[in-house]
Amino acid sequence: MNHSRFTRGLWASWLGFITLLIIWQIISTLELLNPVVFPGPARVVEAAIKDVPLERLLQHIGISLLRVALGFSIGFGAGVILGVTTGWYLQLGSILRAPIELIRPIPPLAWIPLAIIWLGLGEPSKVLIIFLGAFFPVFTNTYKGMLNIDPLIIRAAQTLGLQGRRLLLRVVVPTTLPDIATGMRIGWSYSFGCMVAAELIAAKSGLGYLIMNARQVGQIAVIVYGVILIGIINLITDFIIQEILIKRKLRWQFLGATQ
Amino acid sequence: MPEFIVKITTIVVLIVIWESLSRAGYLNPLHFPSPSKLIATFWELITIGYPTGITVWVHIRATVVRILQGYALAAVVAIPLGLVIGRSYLLQRAANPVITFARSIAVISLLPLAIAWFGVGELARVLLITWGCFWAILTNTIQGARQVDMNYINAGKMLGCGRKQMFWRVILPATLPRIFAGMKISLGVGFMIIIAVEMVGTIKGLGALIQQARFYYSSHIAIDGMIFIGIFGLLISFVLDKLERFILPWAVGLEEVER
Repeated sequence: MNHSRFTRGLWASWLGFITLLIIWQIISTLELLNPVVFPGPARVVEAAIKDVPLERLLQHIGISLLRVALGFSIGFGAGVILGVTTGWYLQLGSILRAPIELIRPIPPLAWIPLAIIWLGLGEPSKVLIIFLGAFFPVFTNTYKGMLNIDPLIIRAAQTLGLQGRRLLLRVVVPTTLPDIATGMRIGWSYSFGCMVAAELIAAKSGLGYLIMNARQVGQIAVIVYGVILIGIINLITDFIIQEILIKRKLRWQFLGATQ
Repeated sequence: MPEFIVKITTIVVLIVIWESLSRAGYLNPLHFPSPSKLIATFWELITIGYPTGITVWVHIRATVVRILQGYALAAVVAIPLGLVIGRSYLLQRAANPVITFARSIAVISLLPLAIAWFGVGELARVLLITWGCFWAILTNTIQGARQVDMNYINAGKMLGCGRKQMFWRVILPATLPRIFAGMKISLGVGFMIIIAVEMVGTIKGLGALIQQARFYYSSHIAIDGMIFIGIFGLLISFVLDKLERFILPWAVGLEEVER
């Protein structure tokens, strides 16, 4: 790839966004579509400044992130612990995996009604949904990673005298970390989606509530703003996980760990 | 002992424990209906239906029709677009940020917007499926078209392929495995979305079934509905696996890099 081609490419990467924005603005200025129903970029920016007070917005974001963080950490912890256990103690593993694999094909979002019947409309039901979103990808990836460890590594460790729990914690689990990291990224984006869905269907706060409420009062520009905001927050958090957690901590084995 | 015997025994034991705990009165039947009750409900769902008159087959048909419509629309748009973008460096650069951003928008967050734009009808549901499936198919098609082995292209040129022939005989077949991978992933995505989408504003569809069950506090119906959803999901992935082996025998074992 020569240099001028590269700079042109760099420039082009903004072009896509800008073109879309311009087309969107032109459609709304010409009023081809009803501007109340299909607000243009200018209207969305206006709504972002006027209709959503910053303080309220930060509250919504904070609550949403708190929910995801809580459900995700429980799901991540449970997924790693169960994944490592089932991948190490194979006999016990096939017993533990039986119910897990039975439940796995049910998408997390399908749990929403049952979660509400079980736990009511409060926080626990949302955390349960988010937990499920994180748990399954983390568990499956951890378990797969445990099974796919190069036997040479284990033999080498055994030759050096490591056995039992020390072999597991010092060699096997660290070798599995890249797979755990993959599961972590997928699990995070799933639990993020679950959070939005749970908040849409039953909540009185949070980003999902912000857009659902905007629909009920007919502020469509606010919905568009909320959708974009949710996308940006998702991008930023994923970037943090990818760049800071995974790339920095797992530099020694980053190749091939994640896409 | 073979693994599957261990697993089946585990499941059977768990069900027996569950049933006996229910009979002994330790489990609240409103929250945790007994397995025998669930089986009786199964029969009810198949013959009488819930709400009365809408059997589970009607629900399944409604869900399948929505998924297929949205999915087909996504494929029809995404595949040609992906082929064009994948063969052009500048378009790729321009499309990349847009695609990254679009994929990080939680599909469910578009539900209020879709309702505001298209009403609480079939169109909104189908278009949400389309959106969810579209990006997975598009990214995979782009990747596939971009990574066509230069040897194939050069060989084609040497053998005197024109532009048209090059596309139909070389590039398209070489891209097909990736397109199929994208279609496989996106069907899973579509399936997850439809369940949540059906929870709003309809009484037909598997998502609607479990949501109705929630309104009437009928956990036995919700659990049975979730079992149907799980079986349905497994069936989809099973059929797709078989189909892939049948249509694209050369693509078996292809890594699904992009989610």
